[in-house]
Amino acid sequence: MSSEVTAAGKPFIHHHSAHCESGTTSALFRDKGVEISESMIFGIGSGIYFGHLPFIKWVGLPITTFRSRPGTLFAKASKRIGGKFFTKKYHSAKKGMADLRRVLSEGHIVGLTTNIYWLTYFPNRFRFQFNGHNIVVLREIENGFRVSDPVLEYPVDCLTEDMERARFARGPLEPRGFMYYAENVPLNPNLRLACIAAMKDTCNMMLRTPFPFVGIRGMRYLAKKTISSPDKLGFKEACRRLANIVRMQEEVGTGGAGFRFMYAAFLQEAADLFASAELAQLSKEMTAIGDIWREFAVVSARIIKQRGQAEETFAKAGGLMLICAGREEQLFQELDRIAKKLQA
Amino acid sequence: MKDQKELAMELEDEIFNDGLPKAYYKHNENGQYVLETNAPWAEKVSCALIIAGNRANLEEIRKAVLAGQKSPLCYHMELRQLDPGMLAKAAGMAVFRVKRHLRPDVFTKLKPSVLNRYTKALRVTLEELKTVPNS
Repeated sequence: MSSEVTAAGKPFIHHHSAHCESGTTSALFRDKGVEISESMIFGIGSGIYFGHLPFIKWVGLPITTFRSRPGTLFAKASKRIGGKFFTKKYHSAKKGMADLRRVLSEGHIVGLTTNIYWLTYFPNRFRFQFNGHNIVVLREIENGFRVSDPVLEYPVDCLTEDMERARFARGPLEPRGFMYYAENVPLNPNLRLACIAAMKDTCNMMLRTPFPFVGIRGMRYLAKKTISSPDKLGFKEACRRLANIVRMQEEVGTGGAGFRFMYAAFLQEAADLFASAELAQLSKEMTAIGDIWREFAVVSARIIKQRGQAEETFAKAGGLMLICAGREEQLFQELDRIAKKLQA
Repeated sequence: MKDQKELAMELEDEIFNDGLPKAYYKHNENGQYVLETNAPWAEKVSCALIIAGNRANLEEIRKAVLAGQKSPLCYHMELRQLDPGMLAKAAGMAVFRVKRHLRPDVFTKLKPSVLNRYTKALRVTLEELKTVPNS
C-alpha cells in the first residue's frame, strides 16, 4: 500500500492485488469513493472458472485457465454494481494515445488493457506474450506515464514507447488499446443484488455447460488426460504440460490455488454481507478445495523435480484433480441452492 | 544429476529474487484472508522449468543460426516469445512468408523494406536482426 497523486491532484492509494483485472476494477471504483475490495470485485465479476482448451496452443502448450475470459470480469462487475463506464477500442494507435492523454488531463484515472511482454518494468519471469494484462494509469510524466500496476507492490513509471507498444500489440486477444474509466458510479451500490446475480452466473458457468472442456467437466477431462499423459506423450513432454498447468494455477496472478483462495475470500465477505452462516461454511469448503489444488501443485512439482518417484505419479496428480472436481461440483450446487434463497 | 538440481535451484532463486513479489491470498489465525508475498514452492519449480526450457530452446536456435541451419529472424522471434502467426500479424505479412523467411538462404536475400517491417515488429535494430549474439 502506498500513496500517489493522480492527474487531478487527488490522492490515490495503491493496493497490492493478486489479480490484475479485479485489482484495476477495484482501483477505479475506489477512486470514485466506493470502498470495495479486490476479492469482492472478483466474485461479482464471476471471475472463477475452469477451462482446458487443447485445440488452442500457446507456445506449443494447450491453454489451461482458472479464470473467465479476460475482459469479462470488468464488464460483468461494472454492470452488476451499476457504474457508468466509458470504454473504447481504437484502430489507430495515434488516436488511442491522444485520447489517453486527454482523459488523463481531465482528471480521470484510466484502466488499460495491455500486452504484458512489452511492459518493460516487469522482471523477466512475468514477461510473456499475453494480451490481457490490466493496469491503471495515474498521470502523465516526462516521456512516460505513472502507472499503478495492481500486481506490483508500488506504482511504477512506464515509457511512452512501451505503453504504445503494449496497448497496440498484435496477436491473439488483441487489446486494440482498450481503455476504460468511470464516468459515474453510485456511491452506495446494492452489493447484495450484485452478489446474488454473480453467484448464480458462476454456478451456471461451472455446472451447466454444453462443452466438455470447461467448468467441472473440463476439470474431469483434464484429470483423465493428465493421468494418461506420460504414456501418450512421454515423460518429458508430460512434465512440461504439467508445469504449464501449475504455472497457470499459481503464477499468473491468481492469488494462490488458481483463484480458489480469492473466491473463498469473496464468499467470506459475502457471508458477512448477508450474515449467512451457510456462505461462511462454503468459504471454508472453498479454502479446503484450494488446499487440495495446492497439494496438486506440490505433487506436480515433485514429479517435475523427480523427487520420491515411487509415490508421486501422474495418476496421483490426476486423482487430486478429480477430488477437486467432485468437491467443487458439490460446492457450486450448494451455492446455487443458497443463492436462490438469498434476499437482496 | 546433482549439478542439474543445483542449477535449477539457482535459477529459482535468480528469477524470484527480483524485489517485485506478487500477492497471494492466505488464511491467517483468525480465519480471515490476508495478502502475503511469499511465492509457493510449487510455483517456483514449475516456473523455473518453463523458463529453463525456453532458455535452452533459445540457445539451441542460436547455435542452429550460427551453423547456418536457421535464419537470425528465427532467433529474434523466439527471443520475443512469438510464433510465426503472431509475428506475421505484427509485421503485417502473410504467415507463409514469415515461415519462408525463417530459412537462412531466403532471409539473406530480403529487401530492406521487408527487413524494416521485422525490425519494427520485433523492436530490434537492423544490425541486430541480421546477427545473433555470440554467447
